[in-house]
Amino acid sequence: MADQDIALVAHLMRRAGFGASRDEIEAKAAQGYDSVVQDLLNPAGGLDDDILMRYNPSYYEPGAIEVNTQLWVYRMINSPNQLQEKVALFWHMIFCAGHSKIDSGQEMGIMVNMFREHGMGRFDDLLLRLSQNPGMMYYLDNTESHKANLNENYGRELLELFSLGVGKDGSFNYSEDDVKVCARAFTGWNVAPAYPPFPHGRSPWVFRFDPADHDETEKTFLGETGPWNGDDIIRIICEQPGTARFLARHLYNFFVADEPQVPAWRLTPPRDVEAIQILEQAYFDSNYSIKAMLEALFTSEFFKDEAVRYQKVKNPAEMVISLLRMVGEHQEIKPGLFEISQEPKYMGMDLMNPPTVEGWHTGREWIDSGTLVERINFAAEMLGNTELDGVRGLVSRLMDRGDTLSPEQFVDGCLDMTGPVQVTADTHAQLVAHAAREGDLSHGSDDERVTFTRRTGEMFQMIAATAEFQFE
Amino acid sequence: MATHFFGLKDRTFYHSHAVGRNEFAGTGFRNPVDMAIASDGSVYVVNRSYENRPDGVHMTVCTLDEEYISAFGAYGQGDGEFVWPTAVALDSNDNVYVADEWLNRITKFTRDGEYVSKWGVSGSGEGELNGPSGIAIDSQGNMVVVDSKNNRVQKFTIDGQYISSFGSEGDGPGQFNLPWGISLDGNDNIYIADWRNDRIQVFNSDGEWQQSIGTSGDGVGQFNRPNGVAVDADGDIYVADWMNNRVQVFAPDGRFITLFRGDAALSKWGKDKLNSNPDMIRQRNIAYSNDPAYEQRFAHPCGVRIDDQGRIAVIDHTRGRIQVYVKEDEPVLR
Repeated sequence: MADQDIALVAHLMRRAGFGASRDEIEAKAAQGYDSVVQDLLNPAGGLDDDILMRYNPSYYEPGAIEVNTQLWVYRMINSPNQLQEKVALFWHMIFCAGHSKIDSGQEMGIMVNMFREHGMGRFDDLLLRLSQNPGMMYYLDNTESHKANLNENYGRELLELFSLGVGKDGSFNYSEDDVKVCARAFTGWNVAPAYPPFPHGRSPWVFRFDPADHDETEKTFLGETGPWNGDDIIRIICEQPGTARFLARHLYNFFVADEPQVPAWRLTPPRDVEAIQILEQAYFDSNYSIKAMLEALFTSEFFKDEAVRYQKVKNPAEMVISLLRMVGEHQEIKPGLFEISQEPKYMGMDLMNPPTVEGWHTGREWIDSGTLVERINFAAEMLGNTELDGVRGLVSRLMDRGDTLSPEQFVDGCLDMTGPVQVTADTHAQLVAHAAREGDLSHGSDDERVTFTRRTGEMFQMIAATAEFQFE
Repeated sequence: MATHFFGLKDRTFYHSHAVGRNEFAGTGFRNPVDMAIASDGSVYVVNRSYENRPDGVHMTVCTLDEEYISAFGAYGQGDGEFVWPTAVALDSNDNVYVADEWLNRITKFTRDGEYVSKWGVSGSGEGELNGPSGIAIDSQGNMVVVDSKNNRVQKFTIDGQYISSFGSEGDGPGQFNLPWGISLDGNDNIYIADWRNDRIQVFNSDGEWQQSIGTSGDGVGQFNRPNGVAVDADGDIYVADWMNNRVQVFAPDGRFITLFRGDAALSKWGKDKLNSNPDMIRQRNIAYSNDPAYEQRFAHPCGVRIDDQGRIAVIDHTRGRIQVYVKEDEPVLR
C-alpha cells in the first residue's frame, strides 16, 4: 500500500471524523478513498442504544448535562458513522446554544441529536428544525417574543449567525428592517409547558405554535412581500447567495483549512475563492443539500491537496477524541468516561455550553499558554501509556519495521504511527538527536523489548509535545 | 346486560400508590435498578446513580408505606462500596447481598447495613463472574447468580463456594444473550429475564429448561429488553418490559393476562419536595393539565418484586420511584 494512500485516508479521517487507529486507516486505504467517502456520507447502522443504556441506565432521557456530554463523547469515540458525529459538532459550533442558560442537559442532548440525525440533510429542513427546537427557542428568547411585544433576538441571530451572515464581498446581506420582520414572522413559535425538575425530572420540551400570538400581517423580507410565517422566512433565506457563501465558508473553515474568524467574512475574501465557488454551486445544484456540499468538498482536489494538510488547529474535541481513537481507549463501556468527557472543557471547549451565541473562536485561538499545557499533557499521557492496547499495537508495528532501527528510522516510524504527522526539518532533527542519545533500537531479547517499548512511549510523548501535533 | 370477561375473571389489579422521588440522598432514589423486600417490610433499593454523581450510589432502606429508614454503602472499590451495583437479595435472616457488575463481586451486609464480607472472582471459568446482574437466594440458602456477560446462571453457597451452573450464549432453549434479572418461585423454579433475547426463561431448580415466554416486539406478550421478573404466590409472572415502558402480567402457563403502563400520582416524598418549591408546583400544575400521562407512566421500569401482602412493587427507574399495584380476587371499586 502506497504511503500517499495512507496519508490521504488519514487526512480524510482526521477531517471527516475524529481520526482513526492505524489498523482502521490501513483498512480504509485498502478499501479506496472514494468508497470510504461514500460510506462516510451514507451512515448505516450505528451504536446499540440498548447496550449503552444497559450499563449506563441514566442514558435514557438523560437529564444531567454531564451525562449528555458523556454520551456524546462516547458516540464520537465509537460511532462507525464518524462524519455524522463530526457534522453534529460542526452545527453545534455554529448553531450555538448553551446549557448555562438553557439549564437542561436533556434539551442540549436533544439539540445535538437533531444535528446528528438531520445535519447532512437539506439546509432549509435543518433551519426549520432549529427554529422549532425548544432549547434554541428559549436560548434566543423566541419564547418571549410575542405579536404584541416583539423580541428580535432569534430573528437577528438567525440572519447574522445561522444563515446569511452579515455580508459578503464588502456588501451587507440584510437590513435592520429585515431583522424585525424576521422576528415578527417567528412570533407564536413557542414551547408547550413542561414538567419541572422536581420531583421526577423534567419532561422533554415540545414545540408549539400559537396562531393567536403570531403576527400574520403582511411583511417585506429581503424584498419579498407577503403574510410571512417562519417557514416562509426560511424559504427566502435559503434562496440567497449569501446563505450559500456562508455555508461554504463554514464548511471550508471546519473541514479544509482555518479561515479568519466569522465577523471578518464580510470584508475578508475567502482563502480559496475557487473552492468556495464549487461548494456554493453544489448547494444550489442539489436544492440546498449539505450532503451534496460535503461530497463536493471531500472529492475535490482542494481537499486532497497536501498543502491543506496540517493547516487546521485541532479543536479540543478533535484533540481528545482522536487520541482516544488512536490508542483504543473507551471503546468498551466502562467507568471513567465522565473524566474523559471533561477534557475538552479543560482545553477551552465546554461541549454543550459554548461561551456565547457566537460560539468558540477557532483556529489558533484554541491555543493559549494554559490550554496548550492541557493539550500536551493529555496527549502525552495517552500516547506515553504503553499499557494501552492501541499503544502496544503501535509499538508492535514499529518492531515489524526491522530487527534494528536507527534513530532516524525510529523517529520516522513514530511520526508515521501517530499520524502520519508532518514535522519541520528542525523538529525532525531535534527528535532524531534525542533518539540518538540511546543509539539504535533492537528487540531481540526481553530486555531489548522493554527498552524498545519505553523509548517508543517517550518518543510518542515528545511528538505529542511538538507544535506540529497541535494541527490536523 | 351481560358482562364480558373473555376468560379473565379471576384476577383484578389496581394501582395503589407511588413511593419516592428523584433524589441523590435521603428520601428518594437515583436511577434505582433493583430492590428486595424483607419480612419486616423493609425495602432495600439499589441506587445506581451515574458517574459524575457518585454520592447517589448507595442502598436506600425504606418501606412501601414511604417511611424512610436509612441508607448505606457508597461509591468506590473498598469494602462495602459499589461501582456498578445492580442487584440485591436477602437471606432468611434478612442479611443483605448486593451484586456489583463492574467489580464482579457480591457484598454481604447485615440488615442494618453493616459490612460483613465479600466474594467473587472475575473471569469466565467455573465459579468466576463477568457481570453479575441478578441474584436470588433459594430455599436451601444457596445463591443463584445471573452471570450476565458469561451468558449463564451459576449457583453458589451463600459464602461463594461454587455449586453448579447452566446456560450458554445463544437464542435456543436454555441459552442466553446478556441475561439480567432473576426471580425464584416457592418451588425454587428459576425465572430469568433473558434481556437481549427478549424473553423470560423458566428453569427448575436443577437448571432444566421448562418454558420460554415472549418474543421481540411491542405487542401483547412481546418484549423490548425485559430486565426484571417476579412471581407471586399464585404463580403469576410479572415482567418489567424495560424499553416498552410497561409491566406485563402472565399466568403460570405463560398466557398473557394484562399490563401496567404506570398510573402514579404524586408520592408523599414528591409532595414534600414540591411544597418547598412553590414555583415548581406552579410549573408542574400547568404541565400536568397539559399532559397528565407523562407523570403517571413508567419510564424504563427496571424490576418487579412482590411483598408478603402480595403487593406488586415496580421500580420506575428514570422517575426515581416505586409504583405499587395490588392484585385482588374480588373487585374493589376505586
